[in-house]
This record gives sequence, structure tokens and C-alpha cells, in this order.
Amino acid sequence: MRVSGLLAAIFILLSLNSCKKHPREFLILSGSENGPLEKIVDEFARKNNVLVKFKYEGSVDIMLELQKNASKYDAVWPASGIWITLGDRERKVKYAQSIMTSPVVFGIRKSLALQLGLTGKDVKVGEILKAIREKKLRFIMTSASQSNSGASAYIGFLYALLGNPEYITEADLEKPELKKGITDLLAGINRSSGSSAWLKDLFLKGGYDAMVNYESLMIEANQELTRQGKEPLYLVYPVDGLVIADSQLGYIDNGDVKKEVFFKELQAYLLSEPIQHQLMQMGRRTGFAGELKNAPVEVFNPDWGIDPQKILSPIKLPRAEVVLKALNLYQTMFRKPSLTFFCLDFSGSMTGGNSDLVKKAMELLLDQDKAGKYFLQSSPADITFVIPFAGTIIDAWQVEGNKQPEMVDLLKKIRETTTDGTTDIYSPVILALEQSAMVDSTKFIPAIILMTDGESNTGKNYADLETAWKNNRRDVPVFLIKFGDASDAQLAQIARLTNGAVFDGRKDLVGAFRKVKGYN
Amino acid sequence: MRGILIGLGILLLAAAIGFGYWYYRNEKPEIHIRGIIGSEKSSFLENDRVKTILKKKYGIVVDYVRAGSIEMVNEEAKTGTDFLWPSSQVALEIFKLKQGDKIVRSENIFNSPIVIYSWDIVVDALLKTGIVKKEMSTYYIIDMPGLLKMIREGKKWSDIGLTQLYGKITVTTTDPTRSNSGIMFAGLVAIVLKGGDVVVEADLPQVLPEVKEFFARQGFMQSTSGVLFEQFLKTGVGQYPLMGGYESQSIEFSRMHPDFWPKVKNQIKTLYPVPTVWSEHPMIILNKKATLLIDALKDEEIQKIAWEEHGFRTGLMGVQNDPKILQVDGIPASVTKIVPMPRASVMVNIIEALADAK
Repeated sequence: MRVSGLLAAIFILLSLNSCKKHPREFLILSGSENGPLEKIVDEFARKNNVLVKFKYEGSVDIMLELQKNASKYDAVWPASGIWITLGDRERKVKYAQSIMTSPVVFGIRKSLALQLGLTGKDVKVGEILKAIREKKLRFIMTSASQSNSGASAYIGFLYALLGNPEYITEADLEKPELKKGITDLLAGINRSSGSSAWLKDLFLKGGYDAMVNYESLMIEANQELTRQGKEPLYLVYPVDGLVIADSQLGYIDNGDVKKEVFFKELQAYLLSEPIQHQLMQMGRRTGFAGELKNAPVEVFNPDWGIDPQKILSPIKLPRAEVVLKALNLYQTMFRKPSLTFFCLDFSGSMTGGNSDLVKKAMELLLDQDKAGKYFLQSSPADITFVIPFAGTIIDAWQVEGNKQPEMVDLLKKIRETTTDGTTDIYSPVILALEQSAMVDSTKFIPAIILMTDGESNTGKNYADLETAWKNNRRDVPVFLIKFGDASDAQLAQIARLTNGAVFDGRKDLVGAFRKVKGYN
Repeated sequence: MRGILIGLGILLLAAAIGFGYWYYRNEKPEIHIRGIIGSEKSSFLENDRVKTILKKKYGIVVDYVRAGSIEMVNEEAKTGTDFLWPSSQVALEIFKLKQGDKIVRSENIFNSPIVIYSWDIVVDALLKTGIVKKEMSTYYIIDMPGLLKMIREGKKWSDIGLTQLYGKITVTTTDPTRSNSGIMFAGLVAIVLKGGDVVVEADLPQVLPEVKEFFARQGFMQSTSGVLFEQFLKTGVGQYPLMGGYESQSIEFSRMHPDFWPKVKNQIKTLYPVPTVWSEHPMIILNKKATLLIDALKDEEIQKIAWEEHGFRTGLMGVQNDPKILQVDGIPASVTKIVPMPRASVMVNIIEALADAK
């Protein structure tokens, strides 16, 4: 009897032990450029009975998230260690190590690069700037106030425009001649994005001449372009404005010993010889001393302007305070102005929670103090339209610039709008397209942001929108923030047509906004 | 019947494991000593051989958290903290000034000189300028004022023949307002500006502007020496032609990455400034029960591991460190041209001025 009791106890212990087999979760806050690496991490984690999840954010968002919510994550993996240093206020990040590196470069359609004389030699930022000023070159780049690749290139531009001083001070950023130079340069941007990987995908959709991105993503893009039989990009490494992303992976110490052990194993695995070799095959620079030994030529292809033997000699990044000020100035002064149309759903089904969310969201963008916390401020040259709608268009309001009283007034109108009736999501978007045609689109980065919860059930339809978009002949993306039961099919269709994207407004509204605004 | 036998077997096994565990736990009376250490010593304390000696021979288990050297001495010492182990004498002195009554005992355990890490092509160029000189197999920066002058005058790498490197000559260090190696370097720069002599309060108006300028030129600075050294190795000569650090770093790295080290050891050079300063590692005991730790760390075998595997020179008088045992070339048996760091009150002034300059 006693023995059987003990056996039962042992059995219970054994079965308790088997409960542990349920995989533990491990959440990594990561830059989007690490997307292709997820499967490598996943494979390793499965063997260790851990379920690794990636949350992809722009590097600046990673910094903001570390400042506020470090306890939500187990590890952080931004494109560059600078964002860990700036974000890790509580000093929770340990064991940060660079897994690989990749320089931020200009990729220009090869024939255009040849025509502009930017091949086979050292190129300075000034030469690229000249081509942009002469309107011979337009490019797409991620938002400097969101993504590391955009921020790196932007800082490279600042150095070059300031005449390559040894270091940049806060006073330098106030110089009027800098403002002129940098706004000219950024005016050459025809589309923007909050993430580097998305920017690469956008480029592959066609119609663009050049982009600023990581060498690794340029290689990915070129491999795809070659497969499609299209002209590859030629990579230009500006000698006086080069920044290298060092892809540091750090552990966030929230006191879980098992996670810490797993992290160290994962990091060691990623730094092991076979994986480092695999990463190099994927266009990431690995190894030590900045040397690419035995780099595969089909990846680091000399025909694309890549020279693995050349020493990459980057600029020095400015002090932390100067970097942050530069990002704020980018957002409020230097970037190409935004022309933004907010189409807000006030149909009956939005009553209550969802309409409150929309109002709160608009407050976050329009109240400049709140927006400033997330680098979401408007600039004096921005133009903002708000089009509330239900079954028909309710009204249309316009604000030019970023003056607080006008923003507050606009916000008041939004708050006072009540919900009622059916839903037509197409009419407001078509109106926005028509309005955008009346503005000189070369001076703005346009975007339409539709916030809705419902299925369109009255008024105009998708075919009407398609006709309007095609007639417009402008690259105006529609970004869709969905609440509640919004029809995924309808929204996805619009996103596809316009090179836009769909975001979930209920999960993380600030995040959705940061992403959407990254695109204009 | 068979089931009962298996059951009994499991039972016996469980009893054996239980007894083994009990026996193991009671092998030696054990004391846990808790403290705060500078991060550069964590690999040493994690070394299994060190842990075993501490436990088997001295019955000590060390629990620690990491913090910056200055940070740990500025904070009000908590009752549960048995010791502090910063990486400079300056930190000890600051602690003495502020919370000196809490010290039970303090003693220096290790030393490591501040060095400048560099690459073969850069060292070749510096040899030609006469700033660096090779004696035996060791490289010395015999003209530190000359190096600082080049930096002050904004000379470019291309001016000394390194056309493949972009920008102006600088030495990259960690942020002296956050990290000890940066502080040590700030002290060293001040000393060189004073003509290689001890820096006192009265010298500050003369040396401070250039010390500030030296760090301003670096732009963004890393906050820990470990991350900086790792980046130095990873990104190479293009990003970090010259980098300030501890001598111990390359020695420890060579032991921890034996497969990789041979591939780069001929490119990486360790330069010894003349004069240089010691980064000392004083153990500050705050609780009487922890004094045993000082004796344990002075154990001959532990000191040997500290040198051979982690690059810490002994803090003990009369003990020599043999560089022949190391995988790193150019490490001298002893470093003799040392100037004492400025006093704590002077360093506090320098650190505050650098923080204000931000």
C-alpha cells in the first residue's frame, strides 16, 4: 500500500515534469531586415523547446519601446546598437553582440548609375546630391525618424552638407544653409516607408530608380530582379557619408534564468561558424576585422558595385543628444512635407469604442505635444485633410502647417462628429484622390489613411476606386487601419491597388500610426 | 511482481539521488557572498576553474550583479551588499570620500594597463611618423603628445599615408561619463597634456578644454568597454583604427575564441602609451564575512588563471606575470612606465566637466 502510494507520487512527479515540455515563449523585438533570419532562429529554438516570436519594428520604434516597455520582451535586435544605447534607460540589456554587419548604401538602376557617372570610383555624397538637385535622380528611403537605414543615410547627408566636420553639434543643426541643403536633398524622395524590408518590397513592385537601404537588402533585391530578368541596382557607397549597421542582439534581463541561458545559447549559435557562413550567403557581412573572406561572388557581386576587399571606413555618428535632435528636426523641419488625407468612418457601427479609438488616434497625431513623444509631429509645410464619412461624405476639413490652435480646432470638429448610418469606404478615398491631384505632388509625399470598422455596403464600389486611382496617375498609397469587423478582403484589395498596407488599429494604435506615418 | 520490482528500483534510485544531493550539499560549509562588480570581471568570475577553487578550497560562492564602477560607488551601499569590486582606484577613493565609514577592508586584486588597440596597417604608418616605436616585440606610443597634437590639428588618416581610411585621426574610447575605461583614458589624456606628470586641481583650467575636445571629437560613444572591443574586432580597421581599452581584453578574448584568434592575431596590435595608467581592481569589503574573499582571490592558482585566461596582472607585490604563456604577441612581462591617475576629487571634476559638455 505504502509502495503504491509512493509510486503514485513518483508518477505525479513525472507527469508534472512532462508539463514542462510545453514550449516556452521568447519574444524578440527586432528590426524588419532580420525577417529572412527568423527561420534560422526558429529552427534552433524548436530543438530547445522554445517558441521564439519576433516583433518587427523600425529601429527608432525599438528605442522608444525599450524606454517604455522593456519588460515585455526577452531580447532586442535592432539594425544598430546605437538604438539599444539610446533606449536602454534602465540598463536591462546585457550581452549585446553584433551578429553581422551591413553598410547603408545607395542602390541606383545600373544604367542610370552609369549615365550619372557614379560607377567604378569613390563617390561623395555631394555628387549624389548634385544629381538629385538637377532632378536626374529620385529615390525612395525609409523615414529617418523611424528606421535605422533612413536615419543613417540622413546623418550621412548632414555631415556632407555641413562640409564634413569632425563631429556635428546641436548648433550645427540650426544653420540655415543646412536647412536649405537637406530639404532639397530630401525633396528627391518619391516614397518613404517605416521599415527597410518593406521599402525593398516596394522597390520590387517597380517604377522607382533608386533606393537607400542596407547592402544586404540590395543584394536580396538584386537577386529578385535578376530572377525577373530585370536590370539590377548598382550599389554606391558614399565615402564621406557611410554608416554601417552592426545588428546587435542583446538580452533583456527580466530575471528569468532559463531565458538567459537560452539567449546565450542562441547567440552563440548565431555566431557559430556554419551560421555565420549561412548569413554571408544571405548577403550579410560576417566574420571579423571587417573582412569578407571567401565572399561568394554571386552574392557580393562585383557587377553590382560590391567590392568585398575594400575597407569600409564609416563616418562617426554624432553624440546621442545630437542624434535625437537631428531626428526631431527631420520630423518637424527637413523631411519632404506630407500631404495626408484621413478618411474617418463615422457610420453607425463605429458607435462607442471604435469611434473613441479613432478620436484618440487623431488626438495623438494632431496634438503636437503628444505627437512629439513618438516623432509623429507635423511640419509647417504639411497639409492635412480630414474627411469624415458614413454612407455619404459628412464633411471635409483642411489644415495647412502645424500650428497648435488650428490643430486643436480640427480635433474639436472630429470629437464633435457623431456616428450614424451605413458605410461607403470608397467615396471618401476617391474624393481624397481628386483633392491630391490639385496639389503639386512633386513637393509632397502623399498618403490616404482610411480608418474603418465596417464593410462597405452602399454608394460607390471598388471598380469606381480603381478607375479613379488609375486616372489619377499618381503614386498615392492608401493605408488602411481597421477596427472591429472591417472586411479584410475589401481593405486588402485597396492596399494592393495602391501599394498601401493594412494595419490593425485595435492591437497597437500608436504602432499602426507610426508605421503609416513612416510612409509619408 | 515485475511492476513492484521496477517500482522498488525507482525508489532506490530516488533515495540514492537524494542522498547524493544531501552529501554534495554538505561537502563543505558554504558561504554566499554578494557583491557588485565591473562587467569586465564577469567572465573571470564565471570561469569554472575559479568557481571550483573558491568553493572547494574556501567554501565561497560569489553572487554578483554588474554595474559601472562609478555608478556602484556613488549609490548608497545597501545592507545586503557584501562587497564592491570596481575597476579603478578612483572609484575606491570616491567611495572613501562619500561612504568611507562602511569599508571593512580594501585591497587591490588585479591590475591592467590602459592600452590602445590598433591594426597592422595603422601601426606601420604610426611607426613611420615616429609616434610608435617597437622594442623587443612590444609597440610603445613613445610620443603621446605628438599623437594628441595630430588629433588636435585635425590631421587626417590620409595625411599619414592611410588613404584607404576616411576622416580624421582619433582614438575611440567608451563614454567617460558612463564607463571606467573612458574615465581612465580621460585621466591619461590630462596627464599627457600636463607633460606626463601628475595632474592636480590647479592644472584643470589648462588641460580641461582639450580633454573635452578630445571626447567631443568622438561623437557617439559606447557605454561599455566589452561592447566597444567586440565592435572593434568585428568591424575592423575601417571603423576603429585606434581604440582605447584594457590590456586584459585581448588576452581574455584570445582564450575565449581559440579557433578564431589565430586568424586575426597578426593584424591586431596592442600599443602601450608611454606613460600609461593602471586600471586597478580594488576589492572593497563592506561586510566582515566577506573578507575571506580577498584572501581567496589572492590564491596563487586563482591569480595564475586570472593572468593566463583573463589577462589581469597580479595586484600582488613581487609576483611576475609571464607573457610567454599567452597567445597574444607583444605583451611585455612588466609595464613600468606608469603615472598615477589624478586624485579622485580631480577626476570627479573632469567627469563633471565632460558631462556638462554634453
